[in-house]
Amino acid sequence: MDTFILITITGIGLGALFFLVASGLSLIYGLMGVLNFAHGTFLVVGAFSGLWISTKVFATANTWTFLGAMVFGGIAGGIFALIVERLVITRLYERHIEQALVTVGVALVAGATLSGWFGNDPRLLPTPHWFINTVTVGKAFVPVDRFLYIGASIVLYIVLASILRFTRIGLIIRAGVENRAMVGALGINVRLAFSAVFFMGGFAAGLGGVLVGAYQNGVTPLMSGSWLIYGFIVVVVGGMGSLGGSALAALLIGVVDQFTNYYMPGLGDFVIVFLLAAVLLTRPQGLLGKVGR
Amino acid sequence: MNAITLQDVNVFLSGSHVLQGVSFEVPSNKVTALLGRNGVGKTTTLRAIMGLIPSTGNIGLFDKSISGMPTYKIAQSGIGYVPEDRDIFSTLTVAENLSLAVRDADPNYDLVYSLFPELSQRGSQRAGTLSGGQQQMVAIARSLLNKNHIILIDEPTKGLAPKLVGEVAEALSKVASETTMLLVEQNLALVKSVAEHIVVMAQGKVIFQGEPSNLEDDAFVHSMLGVSGGLH
Amino acid sequence: MLRWKYSRPLLGLLLLIMAVGPMLSFGILREPGIQQTLAVAFLYGALALTYDLLFGFTGLLSFGHALFFAAGAYITAILIDSYRWPWYFAIPTAVIVSAVLAVLVGSASLRTKGITFAMVTLAFGEAGHVVISRNFGSLTNGENGLPINAERVPGIFIGVVNTKYLFWLALAVLIFVYAAIWWVTQSPAGRVFSALRDNEVRASVLGLNATRFKLLAFVIAGTLASVIGAAMLLVSGNAAPRYADANTTIALLLMVILGGAGTRWGAAVGGILYSIASTRLQDLNQGKALASLPKIISGPLSEPAFILGLLFIFIVMFAPGGLSGAYYRLRMRYLQRDKSTSGSL
Repeated sequence: MDTFILITITGIGLGALFFLVASGLSLIYGLMGVLNFAHGTFLVVGAFSGLWISTKVFATANTWTFLGAMVFGGIAGGIFALIVERLVITRLYERHIEQALVTVGVALVAGATLSGWFGNDPRLLPTPHWFINTVTVGKAFVPVDRFLYIGASIVLYIVLASILRFTRIGLIIRAGVENRAMVGALGINVRLAFSAVFFMGGFAAGLGGVLVGAYQNGVTPLMSGSWLIYGFIVVVVGGMGSLGGSALAALLIGVVDQFTNYYMPGLGDFVIVFLLAAVLLTRPQGLLGKVGR
Repeated sequence: MNAITLQDVNVFLSGSHVLQGVSFEVPSNKVTALLGRNGVGKTTTLRAIMGLIPSTGNIGLFDKSISGMPTYKIAQSGIGYVPEDRDIFSTLTVAENLSLAVRDADPNYDLVYSLFPELSQRGSQRAGTLSGGQQQMVAIARSLLNKNHIILIDEPTKGLAPKLVGEVAEALSKVASETTMLLVEQNLALVKSVAEHIVVMAQGKVIFQGEPSNLEDDAFVHSMLGVSGGLH
Repeated sequence: MLRWKYSRPLLGLLLLIMAVGPMLSFGILREPGIQQTLAVAFLYGALALTYDLLFGFTGLLSFGHALFFAAGAYITAILIDSYRWPWYFAIPTAVIVSAVLAVLVGSASLRTKGITFAMVTLAFGEAGHVVISRNFGSLTNGENGLPINAERVPGIFIGVVNTKYLFWLALAVLIFVYAAIWWVTQSPAGRVFSALRDNEVRASVLGLNATRFKLLAFVIAGTLASVIGAAMLLVSGNAAPRYADANTTIALLLMVILGGAGTRWGAAVGGILYSIASTRLQDLNQGKALASLPKIISGPLSEPAFILGLLFIFIVMFAPGGLSGAYYRLRMRYLQRDKSTSGSL
């Protein structure tokens, strides 16, 4: 039973990290039809920014500095995303294949730049001392950092969902996901919503980058690839453009991955792809996706 | 004074020449009906005016050209658009659908709720769960909230039950007295009751433009309407 | 005609040089290092051609194409090394198994379209990469790759002095794949592929089963990729996990965009140039040319992906059609000028 609790919570913690990557991907795709291969780069930019402020600006590592690094990483990821959107994405307006291709180019150039500057060896991200503690849940000893990931994702989910639900820009984004052309025909410049979504997605990914750096005990430019692919899988399983779908799929995939890796070590990724295939065969639009988009 | 002027407008869609030099005027403070059989390019004409599809030639709003402007700026310059498939946002509530459309500082909710009292009671309902007629009301209401120079309406009674057709028609004739309108409509009874100016299209071209009474005399043009029965 | 009248004789001459060059006692083609680099480049040129069939001709943006390339290499290596099959049974078996794999992956992925299809094929490709790099069943030797057992390969393909045979093998594979892709794209089915790319709705209205034709293109491209994978196993001497990497497919995409999609020769040239460029840029990294620059500049410049990525962004944004597109534009301008001068006379 204690193993079950441990694996479940670890799985939810992993799912929380997946959600941070996938939420932005899903909104960006849902609103703009852009398959964003640069999203993994947003994560890495956030992670390195968090690393920079932790090591160069903050002298010590405590709860507050780590929270500061998370927010700083998020803002850096968001600004980088905004630059990418303004500089290349909008210039290829409505040409979805070219937009996807150009994000591949951005990912290559940015990844190579970071590799050239920092090398590919993981750099340790300073974390508060309580990161290595465990908490007793039932009879299981659960690493306490898992709860931070879960908490951060819940807060971010609430913030994103509130923005979508209660603000005018959120209203425009939700309407735009459904029918971008009609939003324009109502006299609204949808491009502002594009920028907002890129910033929000970049923020979530950048913040996620700092957490992933802590989770993997190191920050490296190479982490963009695998987390991007997990992000894609979560988005497809959850349904494009659905924040709730991404959250649900991220949880599902995180938990399935951890259970599989416990009982059949190394097979987690494999089972996730099977899960993906199963969802596609039975529900091609994803768990919470809308038909016909 | 003409609210909208089209001069030699051409549209190509995936290789076919859909609008072939369309020119006509929409006089201001009148209801103009755009008529013709299915597939002659009426909807395409409205979409071209809104800048939703690329076109060549010139489209003017009063004395200003709106050709090549982005759709949102065209809408902001005072054109309301009620598209063929209504295109309301089905995941948004009725109130959200309406507030999304608001551009003016003092949106005219009074007019909307007096025309469609139902909408005031259904504010928190998801628009996707409304009936076809109610969805049409939302779509029309969106164009009435702001002070527009002109409203483009594409087949508002299409697919509605006869009772609802009456309701929508009544609302349109009330609106008609206060605003300029370009109306695409197959329901001749409705056209007859509101239209003061008529444009008839066939195969991507305008074949008639003028008073509804002049149309009656032209048997050929009449045959191009693709409906049986007379206009009067 | 856009084709230059000397292009065919020139190609013939080039092929003749390639065929004879390694046998001569002078010229760069007799150096085994050059032969090896070109052999690898020819195979990437061929692989880019198969990707052009998918992306350029059929409009399928697949991110899992590397899977079939890796399958061809790995299955051949496993059959030869672990099961001690002779190479002439192992290679056809590997190709057939890869074709079946392409049918399975294709049928599942083609339930989706466009951008979703890209994501799904990416996931399948990544699953293949995971299977290989995690060493399931102790068959693939994990991250280290699987060297081919030299004793079980024809002697002419082993040893530095015999590199010229690998060079010819790669050249032959490139010619074979080019001919196959030419034949497929000129066939009635090939015209359906292009029709699907241009306007799927219209093609479906004509009563064509869009998914079935797309699957056909997917399977042909995958099967040819596995043939190239088997050849790569011989040329490079081992099967490496990076063959299945998403980055390999992305490299293919770069090659096709660089050369220009949908023209065949563009993709082949793009693949050959890209392969040579990435080898050369790696050498530049080791050279001293960059050492004098500050690290903030030399760091990124020493990464081949930096320059290739910039080039890629430039082509997508400003020069659609890549090399072949630029060639055809120049040719068009030349022909028009020709026409206008002859008209004025």
